[in-house]
Amino acid sequence: MDFSFVGSYSGDFLEGFKNTIYASLLGLAGSFVLGLVLAVMRIAPWKALRAIGTAYVEFFRNIPLLLVVYIFYLGLPSLGADLDGFASGTLGLMIYTSAFIAEAVRAGIQSVPAGQMEAARSTGLSYVQAMRLVILPQAVRIVIPPITNQFLNLVKNSSILGVVAGFDLMYFADNVNSYTFQTMETYMVAAAFYLILTVPLAYATNVLERKLARTG
Amino acid sequence: MISFRQVNKHYGSFHVLKDIDLDIAEGEVVVIIGPSGSGKSTLLRCINRLEDISGGSLTVGGVSVHDKTTDINALRRGIGMVFQHFNLYPHLKVIDNITLAPVQAGKVSKEEARRTAMHYLEKVGIPDKAESYPSELSGGQQQRVAIARGLAMKPNVMLFDEPTSALDPEVIGEVLSVMKLLAKEGMTMAVVTHEMGFAREVADRVVFMDEGRIVEQAAPADFFRQPEQPRARDFLSRVINH
Repeated sequence: MDFSFVGSYSGDFLEGFKNTIYASLLGLAGSFVLGLVLAVMRIAPWKALRAIGTAYVEFFRNIPLLLVVYIFYLGLPSLGADLDGFASGTLGLMIYTSAFIAEAVRAGIQSVPAGQMEAARSTGLSYVQAMRLVILPQAVRIVIPPITNQFLNLVKNSSILGVVAGFDLMYFADNVNSYTFQTMETYMVAAAFYLILTVPLAYATNVLERKLARTG
Repeated sequence: MISFRQVNKHYGSFHVLKDIDLDIAEGEVVVIIGPSGSGKSTLLRCINRLEDISGGSLTVGGVSVHDKTTDINALRRGIGMVFQHFNLYPHLKVIDNITLAPVQAGKVSKEEARRTAMHYLEKVGIPDKAESYPSELSGGQQQRVAIARGLAMKPNVMLFDEPTSALDPEVIGEVLSVMKLLAKEGMTMAVVTHEMGFAREVADRVVFMDEGRIVEQAAPADFFRQPEQPRARDFLSRVINH
């Protein structure tokens, strides 16, 4: 294998890497906030909220990511909205991942024994106070490992931007390949860039999991 | 203080409470006994609306518990509850378990809540455990913390839902003696329990339930000597004579 071409295309790789990082960070933040809101909706004591939360989660969790992204990239523009590849890819990523995060958070909240909510309510705390002071602090340690796994998936799934001209790492890797025909080498370089993001994240997840297991 | 009038409750098609009429006066200790599945825990849990009722009326201190306009959080502040499995908050120290509700719901200052908490920890005999976490305590100690937590809101009534059923035999006594102390001090108490010795010694009145009904109510001396109803007699012979 000959990697001598990489130097002359380093600008492309770095531009793609930068956009992959942007998409990942935006996706992370957005899917986390959205996921929390959806999880609380799914277990709220109000039927309408529960129904909306459940419909959202089941819809986006059970269709392919590519389809979600196409909804934003091809579907919405056909209705008059104007979203470029980066925006629709990142939005799709955010919305798709939020459904998984909502499930993880919901499972974590529901794994806290029912007696905890009853004890808190029996002392006169409101539902929101009991949630905030008693349930969520206990749910957090249960929820952190699955959520960091979702973050890891999100970073890898950001390659979907390559399909919709989102100018990410994958998009530029395809470009470089079409100029150089150094196919194997090009994708190896792209893989290396992804690993720069995912290996530390996976490592941090493992450390966190061990720490939580010890104090749990 | 507490008054049930023709209270009924259904879980789907299952009729858990049937035509319950029951009054508990201020300062009275009422012990509710009966076979499992007879509805005694459910009856207790209706008093602070951990369970809804399907019909009838239930008031505590003259306030209708199940009326939609009732401020349930305010009402619950006046009703302490102790659970079978303690339900202490595992992520909080003992002292914080006790001060959480007074500070957050009772709007008591942190210092005052701490003083009150220490007072009740002394009363239940474990002031030295204030800075421990629940998982570091024995079952009996955890249940005594739970009693202190219930008392910290200075309730008018204390509800005990099988408070010794999850305990090892050798620590049951320490929990019962705290409850006896409370009874002696004049606390209004409703106690679901299988501890017949406690019922006999401490109760002002024994309520026997079976299949969702109150079958018999009597002073413990009478009830344990000669229950009137065959079902009560049958139950007693099974729980006592072995």
